This record gives sequence, C-alpha cells and structure tokens, in this order.
Amino acid sequence: MREGIFRMHRKILIVDDEDAIREVTQVTLETLSEWTVRTARSGREGIRLAAADHPDAILLDVMMPDMDGPTTLQELASSPLTREIPVLFLTAKVQAADVRRLLGLGVKGVIAKPFDPLELAGEVAQALGWEPEQRGIPERRLKWRES
Amino acid sequence: MARIVMAGFPADLGEWLKNCFVQADVCCVAGGLEVIEELRRPETSLLVLDHRLHSPTALEILTELRNGARHGKLPVIYCLSEGVDVELAKRLVRDLGVKEILLPPIDPNELARQVARTLGLPAPHRSTDVEEHIQDAVADVRRRFLPAILSRVEVLEQTGVALLESSLLPELREQAEREAHKLAGLLGTLGYAAGSRFAREIEELLQRGISLSESQALRFSELTVALRLDVESTPLAAEALQPPEKRSTLLVVDRDEDLAERIEAEAAGQNLHVQTVREFHGVREAISTHVPDVVLLDLLVSGQEDDGMALLEELSGRTPPVPVIVLTSKDGFTDRVEVARRGGRGFLAKTSSAGQIVEAVTRLMSRLHAGDARIMAVDDDPQVLALLRNLLGPRKVCLETLDDPLRFWDALGAFAPDLLVLDVDMPHLSGIELCRVVRNDVRWAEIPVIFLTRHDDAETINRVFTAGADDFVAKPIVGPELLTRIFNRLDRLHLRRNMLETDPVTGIWNRRKASQMMADFLDLARRHGQPFSLALIGVAGLKDINERQGYGAGDARLRQVSQTLSDGLRSEDVFGRWSGDEFVVGMYGLSRYDGVQRLAQLLEAVRQQDVQAPSGDELHLILSAGVAQYGEDGTDLESLCKSAKAAMLHASTGGGGKVAHAGWVKDSPGTTRHLDVVLVMHDEAQASLLLHGLESRGYRTRWLQDGKTAAKLLAGPDPLLHAKVVLIDVDLSGLDGISLLKRLAWDGVLEDCRAIILTSPSVANEAQVALELGAVDYVAKPFNPPVVVQHIRRALDAA
Repeated sequence: MREGIFRMHRKILIVDDEDAIREVTQVTLETLSEWTVRTARSGREGIRLAAADHPDAILLDVMMPDMDGPTTLQELASSPLTREIPVLFLTAKVQAADVRRLLGLGVKGVIAKPFDPLELAGEVAQALGWEPEQRGIPERRLKWRES
Repeated sequence: MARIVMAGFPADLGEWLKNCFVQADVCCVAGGLEVIEELRRPETSLLVLDHRLHSPTALEILTELRNGARHGKLPVIYCLSEGVDVELAKRLVRDLGVKEILLPPIDPNELARQVARTLGLPAPHRSTDVEEHIQDAVADVRRRFLPAILSRVEVLEQTGVALLESSLLPELREQAEREAHKLAGLLGTLGYAAGSRFAREIEELLQRGISLSESQALRFSELTVALRLDVESTPLAAEALQPPEKRSTLLVVDRDEDLAERIEAEAAGQNLHVQTVREFHGVREAISTHVPDVVLLDLLVSGQEDDGMALLEELSGRTPPVPVIVLTSKDGFTDRVEVARRGGRGFLAKTSSAGQIVEAVTRLMSRLHAGDARIMAVDDDPQVLALLRNLLGPRKVCLETLDDPLRFWDALGAFAPDLLVLDVDMPHLSGIELCRVVRNDVRWAEIPVIFLTRHDDAETINRVFTAGADDFVAKPIVGPELLTRIFNRLDRLHLRRNMLETDPVTGIWNRRKASQMMADFLDLARRHGQPFSLALIGVAGLKDINERQGYGAGDARLRQVSQTLSDGLRSEDVFGRWSGDEFVVGMYGLSRYDGVQRLAQLLEAVRQQDVQAPSGDELHLILSAGVAQYGEDGTDLESLCKSAKAAMLHASTGGGGKVAHAGWVKDSPGTTRHLDVVLVMHDEAQASLLLHGLESRGYRTRWLQDGKTAAKLLAGPDPLLHAKVVLIDVDLSGLDGISLLKRLAWDGVLEDCRAIILTSPSVANEAQVALELGAVDYVAKPFNPPVVVQHIRRALDAA
C-alpha cells in the first residue's frame, strides 16, 4: 500500500483583504501543490478560522484595514489554539528595513508582492521548510499498487 | 547538485529534461555499457531507465545494481516500452526496488514531475497544462477585477489633480497612498508589470509628505496617465503572461526543389517557417537539431517507397510523435490505409498545388493546437474504454469515458462533449437508443456521433445510420482508423463552426457572431452594473480602391486594417465586421469616454500604417468612429448601434479620421459658436499637436494665437465663442495670459468655462496667481502633450 493514501493534505490559510489576491493565491496554490486552501478577508476572520481549522500555515497580508497583519499576528500568538501555527507575511513593502522589521515580529518568512503566481507555491514551501509537492496523481501511473 | 542518469532515451527527451532541471546535472547515455560506466561514479542520485535498453538490457543492469553495494538504494524510474505488462511491473517494484513506473507513450511532463518528486526538487514549470490553467485563472481574475482596478486608478488621478492644484486633503492623500500600495502589490501579480512599477513610484512620492514640488506633482500626473494606459492596454487574456508565440515549422522532405519553393512562398503569409530537406539521409539530422511541428514527406524521397514508409513510422513513433502528412503519386484506398496504419496524419496527391498543401498543413496544425476537443465515449466494456484512453491519451483531447449507459444523461450535460463515441450493444440501454434521443434534443442535434459495432452486417449499419450516426467503426477496433474517423469529424465540425461565425474576407467575427457576443456582454453589464461601450468604425475610400484596383486590392486592404485594429484591442473586446465598410467593437468595462480614447489610439495606429498602393498612387482608407455607452445612449444592441452610427457619421464629416461619442450636440443656431476647448497659445507647432490630440477624440476645438483676439472672442457682453474649457499660455503676444485670465474672470466667463494655465518655469508664483484668479488647473512648461490632453479631459469631465 502506498504510504501517501491516508496522509492528510496540508492546510493553508490565506488572510488578505484584497479579493483578487485571495483568488489568485488560492487557485495557484491549489493547482501547483496538494495543499487545501482556505481564505479569510480580514484579520478578525483569519483568527476565527485559524482557531477552528488549525491550518498548517498562515499567509498573512500586512496592510489591512481595521486590523492589520502585525496586530493579527499578535492575537494569533496570544492564543494557545493558534500560537504554534507558522505564519508568513505577504506584503508589498519591499525595502530591506521593512522586511527586517516584519521578520523581527516572529514570522517564518516574508513573501513580497507582487509575486509570480507560478512561483508562489515554491516560495511558500521553501520559507516553511516543506518538501515541495506536486499536484495530481497522473492517470497513467499504475493503479494496481493501491489494491 | 543532483545527478540524473538517463539511459536509452532519445536525445531530445534528455535535452528537454535538462531544461526542466537546470539545477541538476542530467547525463544522457544511449547504450547499456555506458550506463555501467556512468554508475561507477558515486554521486548519481537518480537513474531513469528505458526498457528498450540493450547489451546489457535494462533489467540486467537493474539486477546488477541491486546486488552491488554501491547503488543498492539508488532510486530508479523505469519506462516500459510497449503495452502494460503487469507481471513485469510487479517484479520491478517488488524485487528490483523501482520507485516509479511510466507507461508508453512516455509523457515528458509526467516524467519531469516524477523526477522532481523523487529528488525533492521544485516542480518544473514546464508542465504547460498546469501553467495554462493558472494563467487562465489569473486572466479571469484580471477580467473580473478590471473595473475595480480602474476605479482605484481614478483615485490616484484625482490625487494628481489635487496635487497640481495644491489642494490635496489629508484624507485623500492617505487613501491614495493605500490604493497605490495595494495596486503595486496587486498589479504585478495580475501581470501588469509596468503598472505595478508606476504604482510603486506613486506610493513613494506620496510618502514624501503632504506637499510635493511642482516637478514631483507633474511626475505624479504623468505616472497616473501611464498607469491607466498600461492597465487599459494590457490584454486581459492569458497571452499577456506567455512568451510571444513562436513560429511553427514545417519540414518538407522532397526532392522537388520547385515545389518546396512554392510552398515556402505560400507559407510566408501564414506565420509558418519552411525548412527543406532533399535527401532521405538528411531528415534525421534535421530533426535532431530542431523538431518541426509538421513534416511533409514525399514517400519516394529516396526512390524506394519502403524507405519512406519506414521513415513515416519512425517519426510517428517518436515521443512526442512528429505529425506527418504524406505526399504521394499513388492514391488508392490500400495506400491510404497503409499510411494511416503507420501513423500518418494526412494524405495528399503529388499533384496538389502549393496552396492546397499549405492549407492542409495549417489545418492539421490548428487541429494539433486546438487542444480542447471534448470526446465522450460510452461502452460497457472497460477494455474498449481503456483502449480509447490509450489511443487518445497522447493527443490533445479531453476524453470522458462512461461504462454505464444509465449515467449517460447526467454526464452529457456536465461534460458537454464535442463528439460522442457510442457502443451499439450495451445492457439496459443501447447506443442506438441514446443516439436517437440525442438527435431529438435541439441542444445536441448537431453533435457528431461515431458508433462502435461488433457487427458490420447490412442490418446493423442500417440501424446505426437510421438512428442518426455520422460514422461507424467495427470491432475489433483498429486504432489509426478510429482516430482518423474521429479527427475527420472534429475537423468538419470546426470548419462549419468557423464558417458560421467568421467573416470570410477579414477572418474576424461576422455580424451575427459579434451581435451574439455583445448581447452576452450587455447582459453581464446589466447584471453587474458595469459600463459597456459599443463603437462603429466606418471605412471611407474603399469604393475608390475597389474601382481602381479591383476587389482583391480592396479586400487585402481591409484585411490589413482589421489586423491593425485587432492588434490594438484587448482580447476580450468583441471585434467584428458589421457591414461592407463598417467594423464594430464592443468594449466591456469601458465608458464611452474611455472608449473614445481607445478608438483614437486605434485610428492613429491605422494612420501610421498607411500604405502605398501597388500602382504607385496613394489610396488611403479613412476611418471614423462613433462610440455609444450602454445606459446612456441606448439600452439594447439596436439602440446602441443607432447612437454609435449617428456619432460615426458626425465624425466622418470634414475629412473624417475622427472619433466622436454619442450625444454630440450640434451648434445651436445664432451667432455664438459652442466649443469644447479653446487653446490660446502662440506656438503653432505645440498648438497643432494638442489640436490633433483633441480633435481625434471628437472634441470641438479652436486655436487662437494671441491674447487680444482671445479676449475679443471669448469675453465681453456678447461673446462670439463659448468654450467649456480654455487652455491659456501665460506667454502671449498682445495681452499676456494672466491679463487674459483676469479679463475672463472679470467678465464672468469663468463661471461656466474652466480655465487651465500653462505656466513658465521661470516665474515662481504664476500658478498660484492663476489659481487665485479662478483657473482650475495648471501645467508647467515645457509640457508633455498627452499630459495636457489628460488635464483637459479631466476638466471637460467635470464641466
């Protein structure tokens, strides 16, 4: 029996107020990796989903109205339910000083916007130290091994 | 660095894999002995074996490998050569520790994916399906979010104007900084690389604080102009992210030099590159340097037909197969069957003209590239379905198989196939029954149906055709025959669809199809509250060309114009031939003013490309356009067309070459002339640049050279000219600009006329003085004409 059959797919949560970014991120991650993607449109919603869903990682936008990325991160870190979940910032701030400041807040990495949709899955996996995964069990792979 | 040894594969597959994994060392060897040599080196991290490897064989090498100490655990990917030998596969995995097995024909993408997975390397971005899927998805997001993006650009434009007016409020500045920041991140992700950079620069300017220097403010305005231009002119479809389309190559293998030359001449207009090989022996070498998209093969190239047949078989059997069209002097049924059996994709008589040959080649290519033919096969025999999957798998078709005819209806609706393959005899519900019902349903009445039958007796054939079949293939199925029949049907379907939808002269949509598409967009605009604009472009001068140079010349010129126009449009714009001398453009998400802007650019592109007629005398086509917006100028296609047509007729007066929007008010009778823009400036060259920019957008304009004349015509108790916007250069002869402005303010002209001042860089507070006098905007000299036109447009929008 293949070891992969019962493996749970990794879950990743994207928190961004920008509808278009959420859509692109979701479609590219779901296509290029085997991760299950959920999205939240605000820090508040993100915290709720993170506590309920316990994703394997969170991609968190920095600049959001009401509750920005760093504040959301603080709240995530203050709850035992979400404290351990690794977080990556997603930001259009590109200057080295900004990136250093963000890294200092205790995230696993910072992903710059704009990003190339075709590269995002690789970047995320690398930042989290995950082994890169590719999508899909190709049809022509032998099926009999599963039986 | 990972080291991959590939053994027994064609060189091009190895090259391909090298490109996929630039971070790995890919080493290709042909023979068994070389593999053993390579494996002496300890640092190999993956072995990819082809079953066909010999002396020693792949199995011998593997057994040796597993018994040795050095590479006992080396991961191996094993490619079987023919069919599915389950016993062999089991042995490979259980006894010989093979990690992955791939089945023929090898899919290079699949191989690359397995290599990446085994080595833990990042996924190669060569798997075009995945890439296309993502690019399509991004294009879709771009299309849906375009109006939202444009409204954010508008905030930046307002900010730019406020900056120039030094009237920027902190709230707007903050909002603009936020929007610029978000746009910088978003636009690049959606493929607007330049737009992203402009937004980033705008953000940086805004971070400098509440007030900017004059040159910074001007730069800001220029950036907003450039930003809008990039967003509006970037095509929305996936092409934007893809590298430019490469030219397709046709390899002609024929001793007949003349024919090759004629084919080359014929192909020049079709974006088809022709390469010729005259010797049988040169073919393999030619293909090893560059794999052509299609090969045209004269079977008698070596003098021996057997050589030709062997070459055909070799090319068709490559991974991936090279499609071959055969050229022969024999044209018997058995010859055709023989060619089809060896994988030939087409059969042409040696007497065919170069035109016919190129047409056959381009048809085959479009079939190869179409990629999205959807085929649904229903058969209760899983072996038949497996065979179909095997046959069609390597071709670019999307195949759905169904072994239970009772699930047919759900699957038909969900999958929406282009072609059906049905088994005659199935339990519970026969294919004949299914076909009869399909033919009685209007939605599916046109779909090609091919039957698979166990019997080819007269009665069965009769039953099949009576039920409405297009074709049948008797079991046991002969692969090439079935493929030929399927692709023939798809070809014809494709051709018929094209004929129903496109204009034969220009190749763009015909009126029927364009109307249909625009009606869809109107629906969308209605539901989502988005703007939709329709433009009619009239072509004048066609009659002259037709009469003096013949219809062929007229058609050629029209084709050229339609090509230029279509190059300048976004791919989701509807572009069609409306009548003999009219084109139609449907633009979703654009208001009529944006539409006018777009059309002005298109017309300019056509003007630039003015050609000399072959006879030497210049015959120009003059294009004029009218733009109407849904909601404002009409609520359905018919009324929109009517408004656009009226505007177009207006634009074509006085020499034409202009764009007008609907709702153009004629001059009211009386002595006063109502104008959109009056330019008051001394420099004739600059004035004519601006006049051109404004008039080609349909604005009524007038140029006045000195201040006194301007004061006389615009001011006073009963002015002769009345303008919505007046642009005044401070440096004027007679009466200077500031004095003219004073005079206009004094006489109350500025109450319903917006003044923009062109200030000189040397005088410090000129702009401020002008604004205090009642000017609404200013631009510092030396100016950039598009920026000034942009300021004028904004003032007109506000007027």
